[in-house]
Amino acid sequence: MARMPREQWYDIARDLDWELSYVDHEAVFPEWHSGQGKIPREAWARWDESYKISYPEYVATQREKEAGAYSVKAALQKSKVFDQLDEGWKSVAKEHFGATAAIEDMAVYAELRMARFGLSPAWRNMAMFGALDETRHAQIGLQFAHELVGKDPQYDWANKAYQTNEWGIIAARATFDGMMMTPNVVDTAVQLPFTFETGFSNVQFVALAADALESGDINFANMISSIQTDEARHAQQGGPTLEILMEHDPRRAQWIVDKTFWTSARLFAILTGPGMDYYTPVEMRKQSYKEFMQEWIAEQFLDQIRDYGLKRPWYWDEFIAGLDTWHHSLHLGVWYWRPTVWWKPQGGVSPEEREWLNEKYPNWEKQFGWMWDVIIENINSGRMEQTLPETLPWLCSLCHLPVGTAASPNNDKYPVRSYPLKHNGHTYHFCSRTCRQIWWEDKDTLHDPTVIERLLAGEIQPPTVEGILAWMGLTPDVMGDDAYGYRWAKAYVPAAAAAS
Amino acid sequence: MTDVMPERPARRLKTWSSLGKLRRLPSEYEIVTHGMNYTTRTGRFAALESNPTTPTNMWFLTYRDHSPLRAEDWSGFRDPDELTYRKYVTIQDEQETVVEGILDEYGPLAHDQSLEPEWIEFLSTVFTPTRFPAHALQMSTAYMAQMAPSSYITNCALFAGADLLRRVSLVAYRTRQLNDATSGVAGIGVREREVWQAHEAWQPARQMLEYLLVAYDWGECFTAMNLVVRPSLDSVLLTQAAELAHAGHDELTWLLLSNLAADWARVERWSTGLARHAIEQRGENREVMLHWIDRWAPRADAAVSSLAGLLAAVPGGPDQGEVVANAVAARDRVIAAAGITG
Ligand SMILES: [Fe+2]
Ligand SMILES: [Fe+2]
Ligand SMILES: [Zn+2]
Repeated sequence: MARMPREQWYDIARDLDWELSYVDHEAVFPEWHSGQGKIPREAWARWDESYKISYPEYVATQREKEAGAYSVKAALQKSKVFDQLDEGWKSVAKEHFGATAAIEDMAVYAELRMARFGLSPAWRNMAMFGALDETRHAQIGLQFAHELVGKDPQYDWANKAYQTNEWGIIAARATFDGMMMTPNVVDTAVQLPFTFETGFSNVQFVALAADALESGDINFANMISSIQTDEARHAQQGGPTLEILMEHDPRRAQWIVDKTFWTSARLFAILTGPGMDYYTPVEMRKQSYKEFMQEWIAEQFLDQIRDYGLKRPWYWDEFIAGLDTWHHSLHLGVWYWRPTVWWKPQGGVSPEEREWLNEKYPNWEKQFGWMWDVIIENINSGRMEQTLPETLPWLCSLCHLPVGTAASPNNDKYPVRSYPLKHNGHTYHFCSRTCRQIWWEDKDTLHDPTVIERLLAGEIQPPTVEGILAWMGLTPDVMGDDAYGYRWAKAYVPAAAAAS
Repeated sequence: MTDVMPERPARRLKTWSSLGKLRRLPSEYEIVTHGMNYTTRTGRFAALESNPTTPTNMWFLTYRDHSPLRAEDWSGFRDPDELTYRKYVTIQDEQETVVEGILDEYGPLAHDQSLEPEWIEFLSTVFTPTRFPAHALQMSTAYMAQMAPSSYITNCALFAGADLLRRVSLVAYRTRQLNDATSGVAGIGVREREVWQAHEAWQPARQMLEYLLVAYDWGECFTAMNLVVRPSLDSVLLTQAAELAHAGHDELTWLLLSNLAADWARVERWSTGLARHAIEQRGENREVMLHWIDRWAPRADAAVSSLAGLLAAVPGGPDQGEVVANAVAARDRVIAAAGITG
């Protein structure tokens, strides 16, 4: 005999609210934690998750998944797979581990906040499973990355990155804290599971797994695909919350979806863009970053928000135009400031790669080619010091990415410039109008000095490049350098060109 | 800048650099748990990368960083069971298989139909309504997990929260079975909320759990819940109710409650370990916890003695005073194991 079907008892297990008598409802569900806003309390009774799972089903399924993922890992342990991986691909993996392990863990806290302050018991239960899932993601990533610390200390950053003030990490913390931790749980559910997980990470995991397989990194592909199967489930907490919010406060819903999509897109341009278009060996690339974003992120996102009655974000054209520039600018910045990252950014502008870039991005040559030519010239004449930075760039007060990276040098519509804003006697700088606008709306929560502002305020001592690197937690053995030791630039040496 | 570039001292790491001081190879548990919560990072301006005066940053500052329960190094604490996610889902899947076996063996319908009406009345008053207090505990445990000052503590509490969801689920499952067996006449599956909200015997417990939901200082939440509330309450609702079921030949309830009690035993192990770690770190923490225990023990006593009446009312049931004495003894044992008394 087996258990009773879930449907026969599931509703009892989520019928858990009662009228509080000894403490105030507002004390148990404080407004800024619970985010009731204009939504009447009764509305929460309608919260219904579409993907239902019971505790016994959960532990059975997850146990099996864990056994599967770890047995693949064990089988590969003794193989030479890792040693044969391309350095550029390894950089994709290192950047991924460092940028995500602790964020998966922060998602645990976001889920726990929903499990405590969510206004529907069905939601609180789902969030408990979500907290378990995110614990799994943090742990599986750490376990896989730890295997590699002995081979390469850059993998140490899977554990270390978020404990530091590395500039990219500050940008990631600013974005994710704003998405998962600072807001009330209603906003969190619309921002994290709905906009970010359904819109970005779930699809990114599918793409990343495909690239990993293509690059021969079976272990990584196995890990990522296994994680993705959980994402599809707990990301569904967003939908029912958004439905209720749309009914009672559509303006609030539109605003939080719009701003989260923008900040996520900015971050994705640095987390995913350079990996897809520069680090991954050209013969292994499936799609360009732009193609991927258009097909999987932009179109799906618009379909998805239309289903809920939301409008296209006001900045949409600027975002689409950014697919031609943002990640190219950020790649240039990351490569130039390579000692400040914990992976080896591959230059990725050999003649062959350049041809691919020009094919995928017809304006690439005009926008970025000439800057790389200067770099190539410096590399080939041995003037390495000119390919390295002397100080820090100005950073955007909202996304914390370099000002100028939402644009490109020869772009008439979005040229490199700062979008300043004077407020309370201080001038803030932004990478774009949209960042400035989001900051203005949310300035009370977002006021957080950028690294460059801290440097100028004397908080980073000594204020030299060495001092900055130490402040960011970069040790000499971890600081990034070109993945191929500048080999890709050699084809441009005149002698070589003449000989070929 | 070029001078920092070319020389790369070869450094072979054996593990995370953050675990460097360990002087031994870390366990898998440590590798996947250590140093994860970045809101506790050293040298932070605020917990979150946002204005230090946002409500969330102020909340972390007030209820976590400025808690009277303080320690130099919370990341030195270890779960005695060394639970990882993988281990957790494995052991709980095994336990759920055990539960399934129990449910099979007692062919629920026949078993439940053989129960005496007085016992059905007891189950509908003391057992099936427990999905409400278990959910309250689940909420408070989720709170403690998000506020804990180290990922080692968070993970313990997170799994404890999931255990409580397990408990709610099993109680709900049995509620439906008992409802079927009694065709609803005993009110099982119908009147649980009313019992929880209005039955006199439940009110002190409900009051205590509602207070617990607003015990926002993480240290107080931990001390109150895991050293006072749960040892007292679960002594009655799990241990003593199980014994009573055993004595009254309701083997099914006895076995299921005993199975759930094993989850609490694990929580008890890390909770006493955490309290001892806190005291080792800072002697004054003993007084801090004692102060909270003094605040919560009378509430727990009131809850327990009120519920004890329901156990005593069962024909052949225990003496009310004995139930209370057992619950107090269970709590005292936990507080002593925590190194706070004795
Ligand atoms: Fe995740
Ligand atoms: Fe997720
Ligand atoms: Zn910006």
